[in-house]
Amino acid sequence: MTDLYRKEIEIKKEQFQDLVSDLNSPLNRTGSSFKIWIGFLLLLIGIAGFMYVRQLQQGLGTTDMRDIASWGLYIADFVFLIAVSLVGSLITAILKLSNVKWATPLTRISEIIAVAALIAALLIIVVDMGRPDRLWHIFVHGRLQSPIVWDILVVNTYLVISILLLYIPLIPDLALLRKTMGHKPKWQQKMYKILSLGWQGTEEQFRIMNLSLTALMVIIIPVALSIHTVTSWLFASTLRPGWDSTIFGPYFVSGAFMVGAATVIVTMYVIITNYNFKAYITDKHFDLMGKLLVLTSLVYLYFNLNEFMVPAYKMKSGESAHILGLLVGEYSLLFWSVQILGMILPILLLIIKPFRKPKPLMIISVVVVIGAFLKRFLIVTPTLLHPFLPVQNYPESYHHYNPTFSEIMITVGSFAGIMLIISLFIKLFPIIPVYETAHEKGFPNEIINNS
Amino acid sequence: MARLNTIVAILIFACSLGAFSQTTAWEVSADQATKKNPLEILPKNLALGRNIFKRTCVSCHGEKADGKGLIQSTNLIDEKFQKQTDGVVFYKIITGRDKMPPFGAMLKEDEIWSVINYLRVLVDPSAIPPPKNVKLELTTGEEIKSITAIVLSADSAKLPLNEVDVHFYVKREFGLMRIGEMSNYTGADGKVKVVFPEKIVGDSEGNVTLVVKIENNFLYNDIETTAVKKWGTPLLSHEDEFNRRALWGARDKSPVWLLLLANGIIAIVWAVIVYVIYNLFRIKKAGRIFIK
Repeated sequence: MTDLYRKEIEIKKEQFQDLVSDLNSPLNRTGSSFKIWIGFLLLLIGIAGFMYVRQLQQGLGTTDMRDIASWGLYIADFVFLIAVSLVGSLITAILKLSNVKWATPLTRISEIIAVAALIAALLIIVVDMGRPDRLWHIFVHGRLQSPIVWDILVVNTYLVISILLLYIPLIPDLALLRKTMGHKPKWQQKMYKILSLGWQGTEEQFRIMNLSLTALMVIIIPVALSIHTVTSWLFASTLRPGWDSTIFGPYFVSGAFMVGAATVIVTMYVIITNYNFKAYITDKHFDLMGKLLVLTSLVYLYFNLNEFMVPAYKMKSGESAHILGLLVGEYSLLFWSVQILGMILPILLLIIKPFRKPKPLMIISVVVVIGAFLKRFLIVTPTLLHPFLPVQNYPESYHHYNPTFSEIMITVGSFAGIMLIISLFIKLFPIIPVYETAHEKGFPNEIINNS
Repeated sequence: MARLNTIVAILIFACSLGAFSQTTAWEVSADQATKKNPLEILPKNLALGRNIFKRTCVSCHGEKADGKGLIQSTNLIDEKFQKQTDGVVFYKIITGRDKMPPFGAMLKEDEIWSVINYLRVLVDPSAIPPPKNVKLELTTGEEIKSITAIVLSADSAKLPLNEVDVHFYVKREFGLMRIGEMSNYTGADGKVKVVFPEKIVGDSEGNVTLVVKIENNFLYNDIETTAVKKWGTPLLSHEDEFNRRALWGARDKSPVWLLLLANGIIAIVWAVIVYVIYNLFRIKKAGRIFIK
């Protein structure tokens, strides 16, 4: 009897070892293609850095932002990145609190996307400043009445919560890494040792961890909603055609969940094609994420209908130039491409099951992500080009906004930075939660702790 | 037959091209081109021309009329422009083309001719005599609030000067506000009068600073005289408004509800964050107990 039991334990232990080596495999395998990829990202970041130094020396004149269009690609990028970061709360908090078990392997992917996007968003907002050396003024002279101050507060709060939500579920995995990564460089072992906080897997430790996680998951939902609502208020609280809208908050939040889901799908696909994770991120996961993308897209479609249908029906004199510019004018091609290719077509395709297979779903998600970025550009720029007060005696070029090479490269650099953070994270930490996966597969805690 | 058709087609095309270019080019008929400028090149006309130029033309054609304004436009002081007759220039100003608006409806004929004279003098300043100094004195009427400028020759004879353009202004926070006309010419007695408008806001006691200038005049050097009068409506102090707690208030004047709401939310959220960070230390401590 005891022999049989011991044997069973041995088998379980072996299975658990397999699971751990499976999920930690990216940490042990660094091919030349990965190094080329990192080199490529560093090159893009280098170009962006060079362009930014040039912008610091010559001023914002290196951009195409002028008196009328004083916000451009950078702000569109900022709004886009904040939108992407919202997925962290969607997958880790909303799905988890609703007891959705299938999302477990995706939690860390979504949380690292959120953290990376937030860091990039905070940087890009500094890039947009003409005098970044005066950044401290907002802390010393900022008025609580100003939405900009709310934005700074809420973005930083969300970043702290996201980092904690990334880190705390990682602690048991870090304890495993501390035991299994003896062949790694000294600094890396030391990092695992410090970060794992002497995790032993005691009941008390689990109790405190779960308590902390529940508290964070509850608090991150209102913070996540408010971060993008406040971002939308940066626009909606000013009297501008196209921004002067009461539904801007939910409109932005629903759009954020859509682009966030699409970003997670693309990242999932990249991860399963590069690493042998097909057993953990299965077709079923893609199918369900596809359904989630349809759901979020449908909500976003509903808000889009409200956002454009109502002003277009009224055609108020001040707003008509803006609305017509989007529907039939200067920006109509971009507008309809974004609405049809980036929202309506994905919904129609993704309700058909074969399109929710990994590859077609990934391609559709890439289109959704590109569409979402251009949508942010359409929210920011055309409005600025149609101010309520007439502008006179401006050079013709001020009435148009076409991002310069410098702006485009810095924006590309921000995306490269996000991919760099995610790529390095995958090489240092298990991207699929080891402990939670083992726990859900029914391995008892003694085996996990004593392996 | 086919060849004939081709030739006809080309001819029609060429003709239509010709017609097309005729509508877009600035074709001036001989009748228009020979039109004579009725204004003589006199300082008075030049001053008018310059005022109109400064008001309507500078934004595109530049301060020096060299075409380097806010947009690149025609150079008005080069030979190519200046060799055109007054009639041609007059026609072009009236009709406009592309970005040049038609000024026919905006300016009077005399005004346009005076601008043309001004452009001629810009290139050839020898046509006007050197400017002289003048004396500028002010008297004010109280019954009907009015200001009278007296322009006298600067020498000891103090002769009143006729037909001098005088500009009247009221000093405002960031500049001068014109009162009276664009040009106010002195009469034979050297005097010109302007009525002070109603409802001009002054300082807290109603004082306004009147500024009278002879400026940009071709005959006389610039001169300026000021007078302070208690003619304005007293400026009402809104200090109470500004000291109120309101959304538009300063940093230390945030509304109480906003302070409570915002700081309340911040306190609750950060309390949770601090609690979780404290828990990290508890996790560490719990591990240590286990080892012992």
